[in-house]
Amino acid sequence: MSESAPTVPYASAPVKNDGRDPLPAGAPLVEVRDLKTHFPIRKGVLARTVGFVKAVDGVSFTIAPGKTLGLVGESGCGKTTVGRTILRLIPKTSGEVIYRGRDFFAYQGETLRRLRRHMQIVFQDPVSSLNPRMTIGNIIGEPIEVHGIAKGKAKRDMVAGLLQRVGLDPSYALRYPHEFSGGQRQRIGIARALALGPDFIVCDEPVSALDVSIQSQILNLLDDLQRERNIAYLFIAHNLAVVEHFSDEVAVMYLGRIVEKASSRELYANPKHPYTMALLSAVPEPNPRPKRQRIVLKGEVPSPSKPPTGCPFHPRCPLTRQAAAEAGAGDTVEITSGGERIRVLSKCKNEMPPLEQKQGEDGHVAACWVTK
Amino acid sequence: MTTAAATATAMPKPSTKALLEVRDLNIAFDTERGEIRPVRDVSLSIFPGQTVAVVGESGCGKSVTAMSILRLIPQPPGKVLSGSISLDGHDLLKLDERDMRRVRGKDIAMIFQEPMTSLNPVYTIGEQIMEAVVLHQRVGKREAREIAEQALRDVGIADPERRLDEYPHQMSGGMRQRVMIAMALSCKPKLLIADEPTTALDVTIQAQILELLRKLQREQGMAIMLITHDLGVVAENADVVAVMYASRIVECAKVEELFDHPQHPYTQGLFRSVPKLGAHSERLATIPGTVPNPAKFPSGCKFHTRCPLTRELAAKAGAEDTVEVVSGGERFRVLRRCNVEEPELRDIKPAHGAACHQIEGYDRSRVMVPKLADKREVVPVAVIDGDPEAVIKQQEQPT
Repeated sequence: MSESAPTVPYASAPVKNDGRDPLPAGAPLVEVRDLKTHFPIRKGVLARTVGFVKAVDGVSFTIAPGKTLGLVGESGCGKTTVGRTILRLIPKTSGEVIYRGRDFFAYQGETLRRLRRHMQIVFQDPVSSLNPRMTIGNIIGEPIEVHGIAKGKAKRDMVAGLLQRVGLDPSYALRYPHEFSGGQRQRIGIARALALGPDFIVCDEPVSALDVSIQSQILNLLDDLQRERNIAYLFIAHNLAVVEHFSDEVAVMYLGRIVEKASSRELYANPKHPYTMALLSAVPEPNPRPKRQRIVLKGEVPSPSKPPTGCPFHPRCPLTRQAAAEAGAGDTVEITSGGERIRVLSKCKNEMPPLEQKQGEDGHVAACWVTK
Repeated sequence: MTTAAATATAMPKPSTKALLEVRDLNIAFDTERGEIRPVRDVSLSIFPGQTVAVVGESGCGKSVTAMSILRLIPQPPGKVLSGSISLDGHDLLKLDERDMRRVRGKDIAMIFQEPMTSLNPVYTIGEQIMEAVVLHQRVGKREAREIAEQALRDVGIADPERRLDEYPHQMSGGMRQRVMIAMALSCKPKLLIADEPTTALDVTIQAQILELLRKLQREQGMAIMLITHDLGVVAENADVVAVMYASRIVECAKVEELFDHPQHPYTQGLFRSVPKLGAHSERLATIPGTVPNPAKFPSGCKFHTRCPLTRELAAKAGAEDTVEVVSGGERFRVLRRCNVEEPELRDIKPAHGAACHQIEGYDRSRVMVPKLADKREVVPVAVIDGDPEAVIKQQEQPT
């Protein structure tokens, strides 16, 4: 697999006004503030709104230029919705996304279109995300032409350069998606995302559909591209080992909220939230003599249309049960979880814990009443 | 919260007679692009109470091997070219369809990766479990319902009476996979074939399901053929592992031996390319190229076009022993033998088979007939489920 420097110039031609604001030194490239995305639940003939699925419910984070934030969580936790809301592929309910110092949601029309160049997405499923009726050259070349970056021969040269950069033969431009394997299609998806020279890419489960031996090729490619072009990634995945390997910082989501965030190393060495601990311990180790203990959570992730009161994790939380066993009866309350009656701390049942600094590295935040 | 990590448990003595023996199985499919061979010379043995993992990437033949054991390969286009599959000494390939139907579900049960598509959406959970029970156990409806209810309770589904009357769409993915397992285990099979049983599930649910399978295996003593691509799942659940690549078993050993001393360059590459939690590796090792398509396998050793070992050795060998190949748009030299002759699975060490010419001792070794009765003596992972009482109970329980 050739991953060496390309021989064809791939860089997007300099565009006079590319719509971007200059980034002040030290400022984050992307800042998300209290983002909420709620989907209405409609019922009846009049399709009246009877409630909301709070898919994303108050998520905040920042991503520095050229850095990676990993977003992990189980299916239905809202991680994909976060990525799509940031890119305005789904309308937000409230909150702000600050890109280069300005609110991305405030842009309209032509300025918005120009800005979209810089924020791209790589999808999970390389089969359904490529139009089967378009050649690879058109798939990658279309955005280049639409954004007025290049046409004709110049465009074709750029496509050839991009293909080469992602490790594919430039002659593949004339072929169709079905002629390629999963790993090759994901390379095409990456080439398409790169075509407009973005500085921010949302990678939504980019390797989960790929074979093990192909995953590492794609991860290394994304890594190289980040170094070369100073691209920031929001890396959404459910595989914790992959996220740890790939991210500078990791945020763990549960029921639409971030429950813990820390540098990758810190989070894995010193998890604070009981959900993170359970998630980490649940990953099977490729070692036939594992030393860890495993926390097997009872029950399943509750539906985001009716999340539990207080801390959304309390019905499954081993820590609050343990704390309740040691606490006085006045501070605890009995609840039913998964058909079982258990005691938990009243505080966990009634009050939402804030995301606050915990013992450990600076910036290690978690939302839990019990943990220190 | 404490529990003895890796509690030693007295497992029943390994049985000397294999439950399932697959010998030299060869399967072909007729396709538009000619005949393909998804299973070539596969031999496997599974002993009672044992878990044998078949590991490999998509298209390596692991699922076709599993399907062929239940004779679920559509014929045509598929056909068994040669080989035998015997369960308790009876050759399944020689049974007529009526007898085979008795084996399916009763002696051998299977759970699939996709719990959504494997359950019938227009029947209730209860109807689907009871169908198999009535068919195989010759009981009345009422009794069948009781068995079904108990089966749901065994797999940890709360409120089983009510659940029996629900439809698959009313359940979550983890719940549906439990129903699949309940259905598979309702007739107490001797062998459970689990084809990627947790791939579609989240990690915390995966942990629940795998723990459940281990518990049911301990209680019922069934053998499990575990098909997966996840090396973590293999490490924690298998007693014996067979690695498949391009329709063949390329390495086979008991689990500790395989993870400690992988011999085949493919197995080694696979282990290295998986990111490990807490390893903080800067860069992942990769296997170059892609998994070969069964319609156009390379000549000789099917791995030679991606193999780092043959390239390395070719660089040191004389020109007459090497040939130039083109793979993945790249030209390089490999050993001639790797390019022309396909290696067979040989016992390169006692009870450790690998199919590679370049492993020390290959030429001196004999062809391996995989018959490893090994079983782990240790429960792989100690489980804390947050309930201190349950943890204590689990420790005291003699298993």
